[in-house]
Amino acid sequence: MGAKTEMRYGSLSRFFQAITGLFIIFFLGVHLFAAHINFGHPVAFFNSVLLQLRDPWWFAFFLIFVYVITYHGINGLKNLIDDTSISVRAKRRIGIILYIIYFITIIYGTILTILVVQIPVPS
Amino acid sequence: MVEANKEIKEGIWSWAKFLRKGIGYFAFALHRLTGIVILFYLYLHYTVLSNLLRGQASYNAIVRSITYGPYDSFLVLDFLLALVIFYHGANGVRLALNEFGIGLNHNKALFYTFEIIAMILLGIFDYYALQFVGVGF
Repeated sequence: MGAKTEMRYGSLSRFFQAITGLFIIFFLGVHLFAAHINFGHPVAFFNSVLLQLRDPWWFAFFLIFVYVITYHGINGLKNLIDDTSISVRAKRRIGIILYIIYFITIIYGTILTILVVQIPVPS
Repeated sequence: MVEANKEIKEGIWSWAKFLRKGIGYFAFALHRLTGIVILFYLYLHYTVLSNLLRGQASYNAIVRSITYGPYDSFLVLDFLLALVIFYHGANGVRLALNEFGIGLNHNKALFYTFEIIAMILLGIFDYYALQFVGVGF
């Protein structure tokens, strides 16, 4: 029963990894164009970032992007650790730590984005 | 699957042993290594973005310093990062298709096809990126 649950969970984890990976192809394409090419400089400057984040669509886009790409990265690292020869107990503990890191990251990302939007754009 | 099971027994150091393991193993090991590099860069990117809270002068100074770096060395790192991302993305699409049951019997052909497409796209991306740094073609 336990093995079956673990297998199902493992499959679900791999399925989400695949889905988020495909989303990231789209997100990253838009992000590279919007934040690194469209400004005429490899990295967008302060005013450009602030103005872009004031648009609610871009705000939502970047927030979802952070949630999805961080999940993909952390879940990928968890899958990698699951494939090593360390004990099941250690894998479980590391998995919990990684998901705590994920939640801290997305909470921090959300707070950072909200704070940045509130900064007045310098004239 | 057999390759993955064998890898569990040998540990992660077996990733570095590509000889006589075939292209499938190479793709598997490189996908994971590039994934670790990208995850490291992701958190580095978040750290840079956190500097937005320090104000315009501070953030723009950081952006200028990290764009080129000493002796334009950061540009080289940017191109290597782009290579890593395009490789990981192309192989990731193949793995995602596999996850949905597509192309399971044509893995090698799909690997080469997606990687060739990715490297062409990388060439286009690098071409546009070089326009920013004054290396026009």
